[in-house]
Parts: sequence; structure tokens; C-alpha cells
Amino acid sequence: MSYLEYNVKSVPTGLRKILFLNWPLALLLTAVASVGFLMLYSVAGGSFSPWAAPQMKRFVAGFILMVGIAMVPVWFWRNMAGVAYGVSVLLLLAVALFGAVGMGAQRWIDLGFMRLQPSELMKITLVMFLAFYYDWLPMKKTSRPVWVLIPVMIILLPVLLVLRQPDLGTAILLLAAGGSMMFFAGVHWGYFTAVIAAGVGLITAVFQSRGTTWQLLKDYQFSRIDTFLDPGSDPLGNGYQITQSKIALGSGGWTGRGYMQGTQSQLNFIPEKHTDFIFTTLAEEFGFIGAISLLGLYALIILFCVSIAVSNRDRFSALLTLGISTTFFLFFAVNMSMVMGLAPIVGVPLPLVSYGGSAMLVLMLAFGLVQSAHIHNPR
Amino acid sequence: MIRTPLRPLARILAARSKGENPETIERENIRLRHEKMRDKSRARAEGRLLVLAAIFVVAFGAIGLRMGAMANTDPSEPRGTASSAPILAQRADIIDREGRVLATNLEVFSLYAQPPQMIDAERAARELVRIFPDLDGERLLEDFTGSRKFLWIRKKISPEQKQAVHEIGDPGLLFGPREMRLYPNGSLAAHILGGASFGREAVSGAEVIGVAGVERMFNDYLNDPAEQGKPLQLSIDLTIQSALERVLYGGMKLMNAKGAAAVLMDVKTGEVVAIASLPDFDPNDRPRPAVKGDPTDSPLFNRAVQGVYELGSVFKIFAVAQALDLGLVTPFTKINTRGPLKWGRFKIRDFRNYGSELTTTKIIVKSSNIGTARIAQMIGAERQQEFLGALGMLEATSFEITEAKGGKPLKPGNWSELSTMTISYGHGLSTSPLHLAAGYAMIANGGTRIRPTILKQDGPQFGERLISEQTATAARVMLRGVVTEGTASLGGVPGYAVGGKTGTADKPRERGGGYYDDKVLATFASMFPAHDPKYVLVVTLDEPVETSGAKPRRTAGWTAVPIAAEIIQRVAPLLGMRPEVEPGQLAGITLTSN
Repeated sequence: MSYLEYNVKSVPTGLRKILFLNWPLALLLTAVASVGFLMLYSVAGGSFSPWAAPQMKRFVAGFILMVGIAMVPVWFWRNMAGVAYGVSVLLLLAVALFGAVGMGAQRWIDLGFMRLQPSELMKITLVMFLAFYYDWLPMKKTSRPVWVLIPVMIILLPVLLVLRQPDLGTAILLLAAGGSMMFFAGVHWGYFTAVIAAGVGLITAVFQSRGTTWQLLKDYQFSRIDTFLDPGSDPLGNGYQITQSKIALGSGGWTGRGYMQGTQSQLNFIPEKHTDFIFTTLAEEFGFIGAISLLGLYALIILFCVSIAVSNRDRFSALLTLGISTTFFLFFAVNMSMVMGLAPIVGVPLPLVSYGGSAMLVLMLAFGLVQSAHIHNPR
Repeated sequence: MIRTPLRPLARILAARSKGENPETIERENIRLRHEKMRDKSRARAEGRLLVLAAIFVVAFGAIGLRMGAMANTDPSEPRGTASSAPILAQRADIIDREGRVLATNLEVFSLYAQPPQMIDAERAARELVRIFPDLDGERLLEDFTGSRKFLWIRKKISPEQKQAVHEIGDPGLLFGPREMRLYPNGSLAAHILGGASFGREAVSGAEVIGVAGVERMFNDYLNDPAEQGKPLQLSIDLTIQSALERVLYGGMKLMNAKGAAAVLMDVKTGEVVAIASLPDFDPNDRPRPAVKGDPTDSPLFNRAVQGVYELGSVFKIFAVAQALDLGLVTPFTKINTRGPLKWGRFKIRDFRNYGSELTTTKIIVKSSNIGTARIAQMIGAERQQEFLGALGMLEATSFEITEAKGGKPLKPGNWSELSTMTISYGHGLSTSPLHLAAGYAMIANGGTRIRPTILKQDGPQFGERLISEQTATAARVMLRGVVTEGTASLGGVPGYAVGGKTGTADKPRERGGGYYDDKVLATFASMFPAHDPKYVLVVTLDEPVETSGAKPRRTAGWTAVPIAAEIIQRVAPLLGMRPEVEPGQLAGITLTSN
């Protein structure tokens, strides 16, 4: 069902659109980003440089970007979805060919004024393109095998490119986001059940084969899997970050040690303390109350996005908004689980809080799309 | 599913007849159908959204609960325990036969660094060099500031050093507990204990492994958690070992020998009560094996167990005992000793000319090579080989230290009649002093095979019988004669009726054939008291020269014998033996009680 079927005259026009922006959502985003500024100021030892100040500039730029995107009618974005996806894939290919190497992985393209991480962009454009695909596809064809295979290809192409970098975290995020898009679009249950069953079966087979004559992996591969799944078994090597962040969370207790009083992060015990592991600083300095408050802010953002999606009568807008909120949810759920030792360590930042340009701008771009969908919802 | 037709004929006809537009009916029906479809997809979408909501709630709940659980825990420092297989720290003690400690563990600390946790690497490196002056400060700083995540600084540090490092206060400098093997008696029984070093190492502890001696031989037992640290009890007696080593060391210096070995063995059990090889070392600081030079001159070399030598005339008693047992001779049979005895190009000579013939007893007492060779000819190669084999002289001993396997006798490739003759007086067959002690223990205990052991035994461990009691007694009478009127006249110890046999063997040249004429191996194999022996003592000196007389003297009678006598004098009381009056001239045979 497309927007064309509705009377578009009830959509606000011109500068009036700003009034129809979902302001509570914008406020929530600003609140979360402010938590990030506070924490970046703290981990720098009470200083705006080197992290807090650039992060603030980026947020302001991102906010303007969001409003700008929101002003553009959502049907323009729908028509641009294919182009956006194609450009992202090309950028990923470019990174693979001549990207800069950082932290042992090839992820960036240096644009001069900023380093662009195409894998971040991909998270949004993939969702966009899938939303477009299912909006275009007649609904009764959704579950036919050929029409299921096409989106699977659309998902797997960037996933494989990202895996080559290698960036396992982003690859998993892309896979999960793409999969949930297909789920929301109404692809038959059977496909998901089959894929999950096959996956579980394969993993079980691999682990069952351990120590038998038909062992499917080499011993050293198994031991790598072991440390990956349980970093605690190697507290000074792979598990170093996770043990230190557990100490931080434990020492924060219920009320925390107080702002800028966290020993673990102030004393540089935690690596990546300003990026992927910034949550530990928050948990140590503001304790359980601070941590659960941030979680609450995230939950509210999700709630607003989902309500925008549900109330939207345009299929593209609804799917896009749901996909973006799922991606956002995956971001912080994976990051928090990782920091708290619930999940293996894959490099996923805490959205809007972790220091990082690409992630911040791409997220604000995504919320711009959500806002656009909200404003241009036929009333 | 029943589909409503878009243009139901009946209604259209009816509408037409009323003059209404039938298109409105179709449009109405299309609208209804679309509504139905939308309802269906909305229902499906609502189901999917419910699943999404459930996943969100579960994830939020899990994260929230985990946060609460972690906030509720006390922070604890990580311990490196799980990083590798657990390392057993408790190694069992080694004790002597009276329960005195020979080897135990000392708890010390290891010092390691985790550079990623370091706050001030420069200061840490500087302070460490102040505490351990032999550390290289520049290299240390390089390691601390480089990409290394872990490095050992010291494997063993004392409590004082630990405190000093602690006061540097850098969180990147860490300590690990570990146990160090300690030999409280220093070099005492060094060759038996061997030594230990660290095997697998981790910050949580290090595995102690034996590198030589009983430490290596019983490594698995000592480290076996199932034994719950039950100490390993040796047959060694600490006080006797100490006395024996002291006298042997003094004797070695006095006789200008370059090395010495001694074995004191219980003749009924085979227990080695004391065993020494000089020069020795301190197992607490075991030297590295020398790269150059003769390995048999290294302090690590165990002359008593590993060293195999042509021991000389001490072997004569075995030929004589076998001949007596076979009935070929009696103690009073006269044997032709006119020399030299020619065998092909080879001539056998005596040290001194003993005249044309001697009795069997006198052959032992005077130590006649010619006489022994003639007796060996009577026995023949085959029976001699069989007898020496049964005595354990042709293979390594089963002594329970690792080095014993290295003490494999050197025997002639072709056991010719000439070999038979030379072996009868101790040339052509190389054995260790321990082999010899076991052989003498056989004669001393009345004729049964003895296997030397380092472990404390519960009672007599008699092996198979090799010669009869009578033969053994007769042999002992001859050995007593060697001391009272023969080559070992300096070996008498009042009250302890020493019997024994000397052996002065020219040392073979390292290269080419032949023997040195100024380098000897002087051995005295003895037992006491000769009429009812309890212990066997073998003393061997490597290249001794006794220079108190006008001419340098090298024979065992002047070198090894007085040292053995001194040892017996010192250790016999410690062994709980009281001096006694020797019963009668024919000891053993006429031994009666009233």
C-alpha cells in the first residue's frame, strides 16, 4: 500500500514542517548525546579535549542534518533508496581496495575533513533499500521463494564485504537488521524457522564433533572459539577489557563513585574507554542508577520510534522506522551485553555516546529519516 | 475460502432494473475486499510487532537485571588461575631414613609486569634497577613501553625484595606465589638428590620438576596429588652421609686425588646408607653442565653410580669365591704363581714376585694376578660370564636415581680366555663402585644376590643364592686376612674386624691402547665386622698420590685403605655398632655362643 493511495494534501508543507517534527524524540536524542559529552569530559580527566568538544560539534552538525533530512518528503527518500544502497556498496568496495588501515582492520576512507566508515552508512542504507523493496513488492508475493531470495542477496552482499575488513560486529548487526526487516515485511514464519534450525544444527554439529574422529574444526580453532565465547578464561589476554570493565561496574555499585571519581577509567585501566567501553565509566561513576537511566532513555527512544511506525499508514515509512529502531536497539543492546560480559566482544559502539564521527552522523541521518516519515505521514 | 464475486449477477440485474449504476456495486465490493485484505495484513503485522515487543522487553530485562547483579557484586581483582591448567604447587618432601628433611619447599614470589597497566614505566624501570642492580634498565623500559602485555622480571624474589617492589606502588608490577625447592643441607647427598627447576610457569605458580637424581626419578610420585604430599623416604642416613663425605673429602685432599667416591651399603637389605661422589655441588644452585672438558670430571658426574672403571684386584675375590664354590680349589690348594704368565703376546705380571706357588688364601692376601688368572682358567669363560652376570656386574644397576642407567658396565666384545684371565683380576670389565659394593654385599651376607636401593626397606631383601654359606664364609676369612696380614694392613679398626680387598688399577689412556704408569684408580672394598658383616664400604680414589714417604706411593694400601679405615671408625658407632672382640682366628666358622 503506497502513499499514492492517500490524500497527500493533509501533509504539512514549507516551514510548518518544523512544527510537526517529533520534538520529544529530538529531545531524547539530545539527552543521550549529552550523557556522552559528560562521560567523554570525564574520561579525558575533566577536559573538553580531546574528545568532548569534537563530539559536541558533530552532534550539532548531526542535529542540523537530521532536521534537513526531515524537511525532505519521505517519498523522495523512498526513490533514493536504491541509489543509496548502491553507493554504500561501492564505498565498501572502495574501502576494501584502498581504504586506510586502522586498529588492524580496514574500515575507513579518508575524505580529508573526516574519515568515513562506509560500514556505518551501510547499516542505514540497507534498511532503507529493504523497506523500499517490500513497499514495491506486491504483498502476496512476499513469501514466494524467488522474492525471498532477492532480499537475502541484498543483505549478504554488504555482510560479506564487511566481514572481509574484518568487522564481525557490524556484520552481525547488518545480518540481524536485514533479517528483522524481512520479518516485519511479513515473510513466512517457515523461512525463519528453517534458517534458525539449520544454524543451530550446524553449530551443534561442529561442537558435537569436538574430540571425535570426524572433528570438523582444528583444535586451535576450537580454543579460539572458547576464548571468544568466554573471555574470562583468559583474563590477561583477550579477556582483559572485559575483566576490567566488570571491575568498574562492580565498584560503581548502586549509586556510583561520583562524577569524575571512577578509578578504573581515570587510571587508564580500561582500553577503548572513550569508544566501545564508555559504558563502564558511566556505570562506575553513576552506578546502577545512572546505567539504568541511560537504558531508560534508550527504551523511550525505541518506544517513540515504534509508535511512529505503528501510527504510520505508509508501508515504506513504517518499515523504515521499524528497521531503524531495530538497528538502534541492536547497537546498544549488543554494546551493553558485551561490556557486561553477556556477549562476546565485537566492536560495536554505544550509540550517540561513544566517541566517533561516522556513527554519530549516520545515526542522526537515520533519525532524520524517521522524522521525515513522521512529518509526511498523511493525516 | 469463499470469495464474494465482484459483480454478483443477481444484484446487478436488480440494480439495472431499478435504473441504478451497477458500477457502484462493483466499486463497493472492491472496497470491501481491500478492507478485508488490509485487516488480514494488519493482523499479521500486529503479530509480528508483538514478537518485536517481546524481544525488546526480554533484552531490556536481561540487561537491566545484569546491571543490577553486577552493581551488587564486590569488585575483585582478576586472578590468572584459569588461564592455564592448574599447576600443582605442593611437591612432596624428601626425607632420610630417620625422617630428617633432605628436600623441601620454600614459598617465594615471582615478579612480573603487565605494561598496559603501568602508570609510570620510566620510574618503575628506574626503581627496579635500584632493587635488582643486575637488571638492564634500558631494556626494561623498552619492554614496558613497547607492545608487550606481559613479561617476567624475576622468577624468585625474597620477602624483602617483594616489599621494596611493592613500595614502588605501580599497578603494572605484580607478584605471583610460587614454591621453590630447598635443600637445607646444602651439598650434602647432592648427587642423590640431584636438583629441581621450574617446569611450566604461570603467574599463579610454577611446576617444580626434578632434573637429576631421585628428584627426577621420582618426579611423578613427588608431584602426584593423590599421594597428598607424603614424603619420599630414602635409605640415606643424614649423619652418616655427613661423616662419610667429610672424611672422604679430607682423604681426597690428603692423597692429592682429583676425585673420590664411596658407597656404604647394608649387606642384607641392599639399602645404601651413605653414598658420595667428589667433587660435588650445591643442588640449591645446581651448576650448568660444562660445555667443554671431560664430562666425567664435572662436579655433576656421579662417580659412585655413573662412573664405570676397571677397578682392579678387588675383583679377585669373585673368581676365588666361584672356584671355591665349584670345588675347583680349596683355601689351601697350591697354585702356580711363577711369572710372568705368557698368553700369546700378552704377559701377566705380579706387583712383586711371590715365588713359585701360593695357596688360594695367599693369592688373595698377597693379591697375585698370576694366581687369580690361573684359577680363572680353571673356571673358564662361560661359567665366569654366567657368574658375573648373575651378580649383576654386566648390566646397569637398578639403583633408583636417574644416573644409574648411565652406569652401564663396559665388557669385552669377545669374551676370550685372555679376557677371562684379565677380568678375574679386574681389568677388561668396567663397573661402577656401586656394582662392586653390591658384589661384596653378596659375599658379606652369606652368598645371596643384593640389589642396591636408595629407598628405605622394611627388612632383608635377599635375592637368589649365588654361592653357598660355607664358600662365603671362607671368602670372608681370606678378606679378613688381607687386612690382618696382607695389602690392606692399614685398614684395621680396633673392635670392628674389617675385612676387604684392595685394588690398584692403572688408568687406561684416553686415546690409543695401553695404560698410564703414573695414574691409578685405588679402591678398597671392605666389610665389617668380617665374621658377621653388617655393612659393606667401597672407597675409590681417582689418581691418588701419597707423598709422605721418600717415593710417591699410589697403591690402594697406602691411599684408599687408610681413608676407608677412618670412615669405618667414624661411622660404625653412628650405625649403632659397638666395638667387640673378634671371636677366634677362624672367624665365622667357630663362632659360638656360651
